[in-house]
Amino acid sequence: MATFPKLKTSAIAQYPLARRTQFQHRTVRFVDGSEQRYRDSAGARLQWDIRLSELDEGELAAVEEFFLASQGAFGSFSFTDPWDGQVYDNCSMAADELALATVAEMRGGTQLTIVRNI
Amino acid sequence: MTTYPQLGSGALSQFPVQKNRRARTVVNQAADGSRIKLADPAARVTEWVLTYADLSDEEATALLRFFVATEGTLNGFTFLDPAGNLLAWSEHLDEDVWQKDPLLGLTPGIADPRGGMQAWRLSNSGGAEQALGQTLAAPGQYQYCLSAYVRATTATSVGLTAGSQAAQRAVTSQWTRIAWTTSGDAQASSVRFGMKIGAGEAVEVYGLQVEAQAAASGYKASTLGGVYEEAHLGDDVLTITSTDANRHSCTVKIIHANHL
Repeated sequence: MATFPKLKTSAIAQYPLARRTQFQHRTVRFVDGSEQRYRDSAGARLQWDIRLSELDEGELAAVEEFFLASQGAFGSFSFTDPWDGQVYDNCSMAADELALATVAEMRGGTQLTIVRNI
Repeated sequence: MTTYPQLGSGALSQFPVQKNRRARTVVNQAADGSRIKLADPAARVTEWVLTYADLSDEEATALLRFFVATEGTLNGFTFLDPAGNLLAWSEHLDEDVWQKDPLLGLTPGIADPRGGMQAWRLSNSGGAEQALGQTLAAPGQYQYCLSAYVRATTATSVGLTAGSQAAQRAVTSQWTRIAWTTSGDAQASSVRFGMKIGAGEAVEVYGLQVEAQAAASGYKASTLGGVYEEAHLGDDVLTITSTDANRHSCTVKIIHANHL
């Protein structure tokens, strides 16, 4: 399985890093006001918003090549949660678009969102 | 084929360069949140937004002539990615895009200067020079910079080639980045970039890169390469603003889509 590329510092992300956890439940409300809840998904949906800046050409190219190899949101890969180091094996890019900006030599940036597939 | 004009400096663009990659994935989302996905490789789109400032009269005129020649978005042209490595498969020298002379041996998995194992050993077991090269469908009149990291157990030299042009660069026992700026053959519509290894020599190579500019920038590993044939301008309007005598600015959007 492919692995999300690390920066040359071996970091996966930079600050600020947003991590979102989302559950999906259903609630049935009865006439007497009571409720019954049940899970409606196979697990929590995790999402990481990664913003990268001050990247050199090689780091930016590595992210771009990874996007191409993943074919956007199609491919799945292994992603290490920067918060706790836990490895999630079935993750994908959230979007089919990647914007890469190079403002000067060794000053590239991009941002992407990773989701854990459930 | 019409080609995008280089600036007087030999560069194709100025900073900042904005590059957008788009893919297309068909997603069927099930009620439980799981998804079934289907890729659509033919829908891949690449877009550049090039912002120019302080262009000379000549450079602005060249851009305007190019815009007129393409009639805006109508006609396609060859565009070389200013933020990419023009060579394809720069870390897979055994891919079909590379042309290798018969007596040149390729050994992968050599320790590279970035701490990985992506370098290759090129060994020439023949009695004459042997070359490894890649032909790019790129205009011969452009200025190019060919660069690579090289080392050898004993000091030697390698030949760098671009079309019929050639240059020698020294190779030491330490990883050294060699670079050579040249142009291809003026009328040619393709250029073959390569490296020649002398008879009986062995050289370790990493990070082969070609860029359409006067000097090498940081190495960028590549798979697709940076030559985009049948690219199109993204707008039917080109606005050039004159900010002073012999100083102009403008923004150009270029788009390349597999399906166009």
